[in-house]
Amino acid sequence: MRAGDEGNALPAHSPPRRIQGALGPLLRVVPLFTAPRLWDHRLMPLSVALPEPGAEEVVARAGARRRASVLLVSAVAVGLGIAAYHVQVQNAPQHRSWAAAWVAVSWTFVIAGVIAWLRRPANRLGPLMLVAGLALAARQLRYSHEAVVFTIFFLLGDLAFALVGHSILAYPSGRVTGRRSRLLVKAGYTTMIVFPLAILMLHGERSELRGINYLLPTRSLLVVSDQPHAAVLLQKAQVVIFYGLLASLVLVVIGLRLWRATPRARRMLAPLLLAAVALVVRALFENVHMFVANSPFTFPALFWWQIAAGLALPLAFLAWMLRARLARANVGELVVELDREPATPQTLRDALARALGDPGLELYFWLPERGEFVDSAGAVASLPVDDRARAATVLEHEGEPLGAIVHDPSLLEEPKLIAAAGAAARLALENARLHAQTRAQLQQVRDSRRRIASAADDERRRIERNLHDGAQNRLLALALQLSAAQRRLGGDAQADPEVDQLLAASVEELQSTVEELRTLARGLHPTVLTEYGLAAALEALTQRSSVPVELDVYGGRLPAHAEGTAYFVAAEALNNVIKHSHAQNASITVRHEGEWLSVEIADDGEGGARAGESSGLQGIADRVEALGGRLEIQSGGSGTCIKAEIPCAS
Amino acid sequence: MRVVVADDSPLLREGVAHVLAENGFEVVAQVGDATALLHAVERSQPELAIVDVRMPPTQTDEGARAAVEIRSRYPDVGLLLLSQVIEAQYALTLLSEHPHGFGYLLKDRVLAIDEFIQSVNRVAAGGTAIDPDVVSQLLGRRRAQDPLDELTPREREILALMAEGRSNHGICQKLFLSPKTVESHVHNIFAKLGITATGDDHRRVLAVLTYLRA
Repeated sequence: MRAGDEGNALPAHSPPRRIQGALGPLLRVVPLFTAPRLWDHRLMPLSVALPEPGAEEVVARAGARRRASVLLVSAVAVGLGIAAYHVQVQNAPQHRSWAAAWVAVSWTFVIAGVIAWLRRPANRLGPLMLVAGLALAARQLRYSHEAVVFTIFFLLGDLAFALVGHSILAYPSGRVTGRRSRLLVKAGYTTMIVFPLAILMLHGERSELRGINYLLPTRSLLVVSDQPHAAVLLQKAQVVIFYGLLASLVLVVIGLRLWRATPRARRMLAPLLLAAVALVVRALFENVHMFVANSPFTFPALFWWQIAAGLALPLAFLAWMLRARLARANVGELVVELDREPATPQTLRDALARALGDPGLELYFWLPERGEFVDSAGAVASLPVDDRARAATVLEHEGEPLGAIVHDPSLLEEPKLIAAAGAAARLALENARLHAQTRAQLQQVRDSRRRIASAADDERRRIERNLHDGAQNRLLALALQLSAAQRRLGGDAQADPEVDQLLAASVEELQSTVEELRTLARGLHPTVLTEYGLAAALEALTQRSSVPVELDVYGGRLPAHAEGTAYFVAAEALNNVIKHSHAQNASITVRHEGEWLSVEIADDGEGGARAGESSGLQGIADRVEALGGRLEIQSGGSGTCIKAEIPCAS
Repeated sequence: MRVVVADDSPLLREGVAHVLAENGFEVVAQVGDATALLHAVERSQPELAIVDVRMPPTQTDEGARAAVEIRSRYPDVGLLLLSQVIEAQYALTLLSEHPHGFGYLLKDRVLAIDEFIQSVNRVAAGGTAIDPDVVSQLLGRRRAQDPLDELTPREREILALMAEGRSNHGICQKLFLSPKTVESHVHNIFAKLGITATGDDHRRVLAVLTYLRA
């Protein structure tokens, strides 16, 4: 392990975190930020806290509390909105539509915040936007003629903009990451509390401090000294620092983020960040408006720009959330899709990439016997190290890895999505694994069937050879000796004629024994077949047939197992023709097509042939199937046709 | 007459050699495999080699291949192949390549000693000896429209003997018929089957066998 990795690594035996819920305990997803040499070390748990097993009750109670809070917040938002509208319309000479637009922005923030909070309680962005929305409405209460109300909301109102800025920087996880961003947020809050406080202390009777476009009431309860110029100067300083300096820095941070983001993250960040840019650029023009006389930007234009961008920001956030929901719906389709057609490594990868919206997604498969991952092309692959460009999520089954999804790290922000897709992929992988296992076992069985069949063939050939070269030769030699003896005795006048007869009978007996052995050996495995091939053997076979047989036989030599099987199929079928069919004519056709040998035996007899228990046809069917071929029997009124397809690749 | 006997079964080899010796043949060598056979033929220049088709080391058709080799090197040496199994097509292939002084018999034929000696003599004299089993296999084969059906039983018998390689004289002896009768039968047979007759005995065998196999 390299020194730099130690910070990221958990102890080697840290158990993977489980994801529970509708997906059940089968699924475990473990994202990896570091590439383990072996499976079981340096795991990093999901960044978002996940409910532990048995936590449903707690979750349910938390949900009820949240719903109550949402009701309360909504009531407050409505109240604040109405109050802000009245204050603006009545106290400030504000056009009704302007006041309403402001309230609309506030409520949009609140609504987006509430939805986010309900959908993703763990994400703090929801509450943040909600509070920002409330603050935006509350800010307008500074136009109140009540001194207390004015003082409180002038002091705290500008925090609404700090909250909006905070929301932008916290998007989309709810956390502000990076030291610079956190400093920016702090600076924002500080600016927006320190300057109003200072202004309130100098905001006396003579102040010409402006609100939107009219003078603010001068009822500060905190006034220490009436310093109108200083107050205006402070207000300008606040604008320069917050809307100028800090807004520029936010713009830089957003630019950097977009620049560094992975394509998928960029696609997701873009709408919201564009809204943010619009808002921030609008903030910059606040400066132009303030310092440049006769600036091309009229106040109404700037106002509506602010309103539009202020609405766009929460709406973009809602769109992002909706997109994430759609993505999860995609995963539902993924499950259906994977269920419909058998998954190959490539189709599985493609389906996952589509469902997760990450074209660069890769799917690795775990090879337990080798202890390593391979990609969908079969090449050995190690899980990625870099946590900014790629992240890996390992799919497990019963503690054993099945595979890993290497994906865009932005997906880690959507743990439910990756978990659902992971579950679908895991099922497909498990399915594929079982299929492969079954196929392998089937192959083993087929192989052993073939081995048994060909071992039996070899044995028959061996016995046939031994009969010819051993017993038959010996019996013949013996008969020859007896025959010679008989001839010698035949020359002897005194020989006993009974002995002569006995010898003659013995020779005859031996000869018919040899004949029988020959027939037996031919039945076991015809020599002709071994030595001269299928065409010759079938010709010899048909020469003994009582039914005329038309032969059309491939003349080349083929592997012994194929020739043997084809011969026995033809022999058994012909035997059937002769014994049962009452056929006038029969034909045997043998064709060699590619890696297959087809043997067809047809007759014009009565039909009725079928393979049954212990029948000869069943025997040849078994034999053909043992080689991985098939036997077809068609038998009816116009005769029987038996067709065997025998694999004959050597 | 000088004869070489090749068979990997010593018992049978001895037996055949014994039968031959008793019938006035000079068995100049007895061998058990193809290589030894070729050496023996080269060394002792026999008039006839009696060869088992299957011999070591492969126990397939070593003997037959040695026979082909002998024929190409010593065309005058008669060849009589003995086999445990008879294969018509193979017999015809060998015969059509080497029609002169060629025999192909089932091993059992040695038991009928007189017939066997006749065959040996025929082959040694440049004639033909085809096993009756080959002939009966060919004759026994059923055809849809068979001209053989038009032959009388006697004609069939004579056809079979011709196919075995017997001359008219041999057929006379075998069937106790006059040469004239046999000749007229042969004429009829050829007419019925549409075979062109030739004077040469082994050509006649070939023509008959080819006809039967077609």
